Amino acid sequence: MRRPKLIEVIFRNLVTKPSTVQYPREKTEVEPDSRGIQYADLSKCTGCSLCSIECPADAIKMTLIPQEYEVPKTNPRRLFPLINYGKCVYCYRCVKICPVNAYIVTNKYDIASSTRYTSENLSLATLKKVVSS
Amino acid sequence: MDVAEKLKLLEDFALEKSVLKPNRKLFVVEPSYVRRIFESLIEKLGHGGFYLSTIVGTDLKEENKIRLDYYVVMLPEEETVVIRTFLPRENPVIDSLIDIIPGALAGECETYDLLGVVFRGNPFLKRGFFVPTDVSEKGIYPLRKDSGV
Amino acid sequence: MGITKVVEIPVVTTEVPIGPQHPALHEPIMLKVYADGEEVVKVEVNTGYNHRGIEKLCEKNTFYRDIFIVSRVCGICNAVHANCYVRALEQILDVTPNRRAKFLRVLSMELERIHSHMLINAVMAEIVGFETLFMQIMLDRERVMKAKEILTGNRVSADYMMVSGVRRDIDEVKRDKIKEILLKLKSKIEYYKKVFEEDETLVKRLVDVGRVKYEDATSHSFVGPLARASGVRIDSRASDKYDAYDEIPFNVITRTEGDSWARMMVRWDEILESIEMGIYILNNLPSDGNPVPDERRLPRRFPPGEAYTRVEAQRGELTYYVMSDGKTQNPYRVKIRTPSFNNIVNSAFMYVKHTLADVPVILTSIDPCISCMERVTLIDLEKGVRQRIPLKQLSSGGRK
Repeated sequence: MRRPKLIEVIFRNLVTKPSTVQYPREKTEVEPDSRGIQYADLSKCTGCSLCSIECPADAIKMTLIPQEYEVPKTNPRRLFPLINYGKCVYCYRCVKICPVNAYIVTNKYDIASSTRYTSENLSLATLKKVVSS
Repeated sequence: MDVAEKLKLLEDFALEKSVLKPNRKLFVVEPSYVRRIFESLIEKLGHGGFYLSTIVGTDLKEENKIRLDYYVVMLPEEETVVIRTFLPRENPVIDSLIDIIPGALAGECETYDLLGVVFRGNPFLKRGFFVPTDVSEKGIYPLRKDSGV
Repeated sequence: MGITKVVEIPVVTTEVPIGPQHPALHEPIMLKVYADGEEVVKVEVNTGYNHRGIEKLCEKNTFYRDIFIVSRVCGICNAVHANCYVRALEQILDVTPNRRAKFLRVLSMELERIHSHMLINAVMAEIVGFETLFMQIMLDRERVMKAKEILTGNRVSADYMMVSGVRRDIDEVKRDKIKEILLKLKSKIEYYKKVFEEDETLVKRLVDVGRVKYEDATSHSFVGPLARASGVRIDSRASDKYDAYDEIPFNVITRTEGDSWARMMVRWDEILESIEMGIYILNNLPSDGNPVPDERRLPRRFPPGEAYTRVEAQRGELTYYVMSDGKTQNPYRVKIRTPSFNNIVNSAFMYVKHTLADVPVILTSIDPCISCMERVTLIDLEKGVRQRIPLKQLSSGGRK
């Protein structure tokens, strides 16, 4: 039986760089439109809670926006979707179902952390704080 | 033997016929005939002529019945036919197929454990195949609509 | 009715537990092997280490949420699960996606088939001790995952199917990228296939191991490559012609040997077919409108009805039965029958009369997907009792 030339591949691999990506030091390349974390743009969000109802993983909780933020008039109940990224399955149902297209999508995928990682800071950063007079 | 002839085998037993989407022939039969249907299938087609794809049990609480669907795929045309039968909800008992079709084992054990359909002649039925003991000890069948699980 | 008979094990046999940690794949299944010296006399398949109760969960959630729940039945074959469920919903609603959407669905499923088959072939190489080949195949598999990421937005969980369409369209740039990946891959796959055909180690370990006869395959309800390697021509792509499979040319691969080697070769040939199909799809992608439906405008109410759909998953025929009673937003009944459920549970007779070292080989050649199989299992460590069947009865195909 003739042996296939796997030995060539092995020697070629000895002289080339490893294919492994040294992950934390070196970022894995992802597509610009791959599904990473998403958060609500609160200048558009109306607080309708549709995303929270539709979420298959129950990762979205409608939460009250703190008093120090200026909330647009379209959001009378002052609610915003707080996404728990630990629960989120990144199916983007919320992004697609949103009636006002309020979600901002990113391709950020490295979300492992020792603390609870939510969309609170990202979402609230889209609002202006009330300037205390 | 072409498909029409094979279906003729089933039509003799059928109480009524209809079509399940998408385009699966459905035969409603008496529960006592199910085993005889499979025996005649084996006789006419041999073990290589068909396979039992799955057994689906559904609890129809409002009609007070349990519905059993046997999905059979005829080879080599791969025509899926459905053999449907209704059992009373209080005492659902039907003859087992395990000794003639070993592939029925999985479906029968699953249906017994989740819906409480007793397959007469199957020695491997046991509560607690799938259901945790705390549920099965109460005599609850989880897929029954009034189970509360 | 409890267990009335337990098979008595003769004293001379030794009980060897293989698993539940990493029996062959990184998946929890335990094979309790009774061996007489080196020879296996009896195998019990103990499962139940991975259980979630998906069917009940589906009844408790809405139709649309279930699309994403059933995608999580299994990671490797998530697109086919979603496709099967979504097509059942489409049958109930009486809607059809446009042709472009159908082609894109097939593309995502075929990409999935390629990477799944590559994975199990790589694992097989690892099991027989050929680690270099394992690494090589996994490296090339990564390219397919990239293609899937370009198409669907994620390497593994596609979440690509939606009622009456798909969730993303592709443009020219993406199309060329995927095509380039597939063309590059083709020569690699042909090379690996040759390795599996010719390499002495692989051939010695795989040929004549775990032979399944035609009649055994049908009477034990085996599906997929396992059945096709025994000469049983079961392929719901060819018979049901769902989605765009009626327009895309492909061959159904069957072999007659029926051993582990034949099963792996069926998989390699299917990869080559899938690559051809993928290239055909990308060359002939129809442009009859937008394949992406507006999810906000999909019907919220489902009429009463039922549908039973089949799909050819990587491991065989996957079926979904969905019933809607028309009263609530939730399905009345969802029944999932995965290919691994048939293939693993009924496989115990295959191991008998082989040596202990062949057990992982046979298990891998079935391509077991434990999470697929156990989606209905709630919590139970005793599920293995179902395997306490006189083995002669099983191995004789149930004929007494």
